[in-house]
Amino acid sequence: MRAFWEAGKGWTLPVAGVCLVLGALLGIQTHTQQLRGATEVGRRSSALVGMLTNSEAQLAAQAKEIEQLRAQLGKFEKEAMSDKGVTQRVYEEMQTDRVALGLLPVKGPGVELELGDSTMRRDGAEAGSQDIYLIHDYDLREVANELWAAGAEAVSLNNQRLVTGSAIRCSGPLIQVNNTTIPSPFVFHAIGNKDNFVSALNIRDGVLDRLRWVKFQVKLTPKDDVAVPAIAIAPKFRYAKPVTEETP
Amino acid sequence: MIFLPVVALILGFLLVYRFSIPSAWADYAAIAILAGFDALIGAVRARMEGQFDEAVFISGFFVNMALAILLAYIGDKLGVDLYLAVVVALGIRIFTNLGRIRGLFVRARMEARRARHAAMPH
Repeated sequence: MRAFWEAGKGWTLPVAGVCLVLGALLGIQTHTQQLRGATEVGRRSSALVGMLTNSEAQLAAQAKEIEQLRAQLGKFEKEAMSDKGVTQRVYEEMQTDRVALGLLPVKGPGVELELGDSTMRRDGAEAGSQDIYLIHDYDLREVANELWAAGAEAVSLNNQRLVTGSAIRCSGPLIQVNNTTIPSPFVFHAIGNKDNFVSALNIRDGVLDRLRWVKFQVKLTPKDDVAVPAIAIAPKFRYAKPVTEETP
Repeated sequence: MIFLPVVALILGFLLVYRFSIPSAWADYAAIAILAGFDALIGAVRARMEGQFDEAVFISGFFVNMALAILLAYIGDKLGVDLYLAVVVALGIRIFTNLGRIRGLFVRARMEARRARHAAMPH
């Protein structure tokens, strides 16, 4: 056996040259892998953010399209109604139905009600459970119910029109209306008799009173011009069928 | 001396450590490194067996590297993982050569001991 570590003509130099190349390859590869590992996490989350932005943009585009189609439909109906008479009455009837279904944005006198989480905080050992100082889905449901009971003709919560089938529910730490997540503060817009709303909501021991006890931020403003948007996706009726063909 | 190649290896490493290659090339670089190691270890073994040839070594180093990359590249284009075939083949060769080198060492030691025993008077 010949000791390879001993120098020799035609041995040390070629090996050294090859080692230089090999070392360079190793260096560049190690560095590349290190950079790769560092950017992997960032790349993944930025990809997710990209997807989210994409789908949000898509959603916005589709909402716009729905709006356009509805406007188009309205124009067609107006054109068809040119011969007055029966079609005119049908059109008026359909407009009322659309308002009831939430397919048209509406405005009128009413109230704006803003609800924010309580200014009180638990501290010390109980700091982890703040839920009694947070607004919950059931608080919002109660308020919505009270608004309907006070004669609201159209109600929206954080710009989500409340219609037949609009559920207000909690999903984890967030609240969803019409399957759309809404953040605090929660703003109701209701169209109807202003005075009725104010007295119904402010009734002693009523829903707002209960929220004020624990220092929730309640701001009730009667307004002459309240706008309530249309619902993004119209309710579908797949199971319910009318019993008679006659319209009331 | 063994220092020159070791210094060369470290020097090469440090010289290019600030650079990086596109991550698409990283697999090929890995293959090239494997081929390089194979050539180097093969050279050590040849040297120990007294069969080392400078021209064979240098040509083997670069040509094998290129062939390994080419094979991996073709596999990429064909959608077959020839990359793995290269890794396995080179890996096996590196292990075999390391085994031979170890065997040579052990045999040399045993021979030395036997020679010492034979020289000792009983």
